[in-house]
Amino acid sequence: MPDPLIGKIFDEFPDESEWDVIVIGGGPNGLIAAAYLAKAGLNVALVERRYEIGGGLATEEVLFPGYYSNMHAVYHMMVDFMPVIQDFDMDRHALMWTKPNAQTGMVFEDGKSLLLARMVEDSKDSITKFSYKDAVTFGKLTRRWRRIVDEILGPATYIPPMSPLDITMAMQRTELGQEMLELVEQSPLEIITNNFEDDRVRALLLYTSCMWGLDPRETGIGMFVALLLQRGTNKCYCDGGSHKFAGALAREIVSNGGTIVDAAEVTNILMEGGRAAGVQIAEGRILRSKVVMSTLDPHTTFLDLVGAGNLPPDLKESVERWQYDKWSYYTLHVATKEPPRYRCDDNWINDAFMTIFGIESLDQLLAHWDNVVAGKIDLNNFGGHATCESYFDPHLVHSPYGGHVSFFQVHAPYDIEGGWDEKGKELEETILAKWQKAAPNMTRDNIIRTGHETPVGIELRFPNMRRGAIKHGDYKPIQLGCFRPNQDCSSTATPIEGLYVCGASTYPGGMVLGGPGYLGANKVAEDLGVAKWWQPTRAMAHYVKTYLE
Amino acid sequence: MIQEERYDFVIVGGGPNGTALAAYLAKSGASVCVLEERPEAGGACENTEPIPGVRITPHAMYMYSGPSPGFEQLELHKYGFRMDWSPQSENLADQQARGVATTEGMSPITDKDAMGFAKLAGMLGNPPFIKDLLRATFWCPPHPPEVEVTAENIPYMQVYKQHQPDVWTEELLDMTMFDLMDEHLETEPFKVMHAMVAWYSGAAGHWEGVAIPAFACDITLTMYSGISVPRGGMHGYFHSIIRCALAHGAVVRTCCPVDEIIVENGRAAGVRLRETATRDEKRIWANKAVVSAVDVKQTFLKLVGPRHLGSSFRKKVDEISVKGGSIWVSHLLTREPLIPRPKFKAPGCENPGEYGGPYPCDSREIYFEHVADVDGRRGDPTVPPERLMWIATQSTRFRETDPQCTIPGVYLESPYYVLVPPPEYQPDGPDALDKKKEEINAYMRKAFSQVIENVDDDNLIMHLANTPYESEFRNTGLIGGTWCGTRHCDDQWAENRPLSELARYRTPVEGLYLCNQTACHPGGLCHMAIPYNLMHILIEDGLVEPGKWWYPSPWYIPQDGKISAIPR
Repeated sequence: MPDPLIGKIFDEFPDESEWDVIVIGGGPNGLIAAAYLAKAGLNVALVERRYEIGGGLATEEVLFPGYYSNMHAVYHMMVDFMPVIQDFDMDRHALMWTKPNAQTGMVFEDGKSLLLARMVEDSKDSITKFSYKDAVTFGKLTRRWRRIVDEILGPATYIPPMSPLDITMAMQRTELGQEMLELVEQSPLEIITNNFEDDRVRALLLYTSCMWGLDPRETGIGMFVALLLQRGTNKCYCDGGSHKFAGALAREIVSNGGTIVDAAEVTNILMEGGRAAGVQIAEGRILRSKVVMSTLDPHTTFLDLVGAGNLPPDLKESVERWQYDKWSYYTLHVATKEPPRYRCDDNWINDAFMTIFGIESLDQLLAHWDNVVAGKIDLNNFGGHATCESYFDPHLVHSPYGGHVSFFQVHAPYDIEGGWDEKGKELEETILAKWQKAAPNMTRDNIIRTGHETPVGIELRFPNMRRGAIKHGDYKPIQLGCFRPNQDCSSTATPIEGLYVCGASTYPGGMVLGGPGYLGANKVAEDLGVAKWWQPTRAMAHYVKTYLE
Repeated sequence: MIQEERYDFVIVGGGPNGTALAAYLAKSGASVCVLEERPEAGGACENTEPIPGVRITPHAMYMYSGPSPGFEQLELHKYGFRMDWSPQSENLADQQARGVATTEGMSPITDKDAMGFAKLAGMLGNPPFIKDLLRATFWCPPHPPEVEVTAENIPYMQVYKQHQPDVWTEELLDMTMFDLMDEHLETEPFKVMHAMVAWYSGAAGHWEGVAIPAFACDITLTMYSGISVPRGGMHGYFHSIIRCALAHGAVVRTCCPVDEIIVENGRAAGVRLRETATRDEKRIWANKAVVSAVDVKQTFLKLVGPRHLGSSFRKKVDEISVKGGSIWVSHLLTREPLIPRPKFKAPGCENPGEYGGPYPCDSREIYFEHVADVDGRRGDPTVPPERLMWIATQSTRFRETDPQCTIPGVYLESPYYVLVPPPEYQPDGPDALDKKKEEINAYMRKAFSQVIENVDDDNLIMHLANTPYESEFRNTGLIGGTWCGTRHCDDQWAENRPLSELARYRTPVEGLYLCNQTACHPGGLCHMAIPYNLMHILIEDGLVEPGKWWYPSPWYIPQDGKISAIPR
């Protein structure tokens, strides 16, 4: 404190305050929940540990000074379905997404390449180079899967979860629903190998459908192949960087009377008479509320903040069973003078939003993923995907030395043989050599600066991405749907009165779906008896009418 | 569908000045749009986390704006504003116990030093008048052109006259800060330390005619806000300002660089965005005014454009001096906490890893040698490392509840500053120092190791630095890569800042106002002073009518023929 002679200087945020709703965590879900509820007239405080809101919607100057990179959510796949975009005037905040036609390229050592585009015929043209039959199958399946996503999976993302039995009953109503159920029964690998014949086409399609953490051999998750392949060819880039989306949501919260308190780590959720009554933050300030919504992972929310001793035994047991993602990511960020130019038979690859290299066959891809799950990366056998962000976004570079920012990302274990301190540097060198092989202009001369982020680094930056888990927990049948994070909590309400969970570990999951936050806001509005100012999207209304009413 | 957009005010630049003005205007009921070029608003009030778990502050670090009326008027506490008070008391008695760092070790601060300092700083008045003194220096618009500026009506002179008449003398107006200190303080190192803090803050200790402004910069930091930082750094403070603006309906957009201030019939009518801006409609119109919160040279020479300016005015703008020191900001990551050599261990300091402040403060000869090097535009720093002056902060002091480094077993010393000549004056071109970044970093570490015993290769993990040239690119408003942009010297202070015809924030272009540290009184340091002062002028011009929460500076003199900003 300053000299006592001076006395009080200015008022600060109060030591104790009262709110209707406190949201813990300023990632996409926390921001969405707070934005809906603030606009509904509730007195909302959003409390964020970091100095900046956004969570995975982070655009940061990793290659300091002067080069901004998107740390996590670069590929926004649900922009077409997210209710939040319809419900708020994003134009006011100058928020725009671009959706490149050339979506995912894959280049091979022999100079051949494959390209998945937003427009189906463009993808088919590329697949035809390898197999005409596969191209035709791709066209037929994609059109069918697009309908499944548009009619069922897309809108269902924003409808509360149902039990597997209820889903089965509902899906029986239509032919499309029955088709989706058939997909569920198969593993991603089965779906891909049963339908496609060419090995490289199979490798690309398996990579695209499982890259966010599906086990290729697991059954019961097959609908994700349809979803992720379809959305994987409709990825959007948030102009100005992912963080701009977070900024727009934060502006909606504040302009509707909500309050954001950042640089404020929640140390505990206040419990009074068995119910949640507010939070305490690191410097000791107390914020009291009727409702606490946590967007953190189940371990942090229940074991650390509520405290294991305050949990009903069943809940404690199911929380303890929670498993994090089976793999994390290692990302190499680079600033270069020129964007990478890939050497291959299709120039269009150089316009692609995402370019995969290092994978030559289906077996090699499976072997790489098996290694990762076993805690290894074989430096002679790995591949990943790259994006040159500044190719789509001029706002990321503020350096006198100009140029571009790109990254290369590879699946990686949290615990790696030899430790990340050593492996991180070694991997960086290997990736740069591999990158130069695929894109000959990625020479030392072209590279201005590099920096890598290991799974341990991810956890340091975002402590509730425990073990580098970007989705806060594995996607497997017992952690999906009405089981995410467990049967008691998947509708966002929890057995603890006043406490709700609505982060990536709650149905429908992570990856900037914006689903948990939206569902959490709906549930809290209903429970507090507050009128909803928003309506379901047209696709959601159609889904409800067709399958649920 | 592209729609035309109109606001009462369009503000170019979303740093602390532009955004605080937006908060003032929006709270007054005006419609406001702020356009920021970078991905994040905040200007020099910024954080960045280049390495996971390591948060650094490339520019604004400390709280200079403590006395600002903005805290009350904008009610920043409602928008989450919190401080991270330094656990170490910064009162004078405590400083006295620690002393000042010289090459010989810690030099004691005498009672005469402490009492003299407290007297000048307004702490011995009854009641203490330090807040009045600081508000009089910074939070009052320059007097109107028809008013002759005299020792009787300069605000800080009035404050001394009223509260501490024995300090008041007309000669104060010609003094340097050294002259002032020679009269009231005793030991040389104590004086040199404060002169140096003032130099870093914009008005150097040896410049004539700005003794009090220089001294006020120093006490704003060292006494008034207690060398403390807001929670979340100065970006946390900025958050409370931007959220106040948003809560009152202002629109603040990022990734929207402005390429032109549109002038129609001699009047600023709106702005044109760059083709790449994240916005379909590239023109945004202003009903009442366009406010430029980017630096004065870019405002006129680039955004307004020469064709709308008289040639003598254009030349004057071109010649505004940015020759002051530019800042090289370093961040050191180490394996062990940095340990001061035994002779620098402060008696009251329990944690051996703590060292903060300027060094070496032996004598003003060392200070002048360094000033001559930097302000003499000699290119590289040429003084030997053992005589190089620097300022290190104590980021470790704030690590309890708002840590800047969360990697286990890693320690952060950040920021660590050295002044160098600005890029514009490097004989070998603006990127001259950037080309020798590693070399200069090593030179700085050598200078630092006069005080710290383990800044060696074994301990060092990384030395991150932004050069002035890089700073200039990162924050296009920081011309010359410095915090103050243009010197706070007598020729560019108050009624002269940056030119007499621009001093009251108005410009030759009707409907265009200035709100940037390079262009406006009182300059840099995130004071919320420029927006507050500019409000007086916008009220005078009938463009805004704030509510009952508004109060003007008690030293403000309304301009003839205008509406007074003093509420009736």
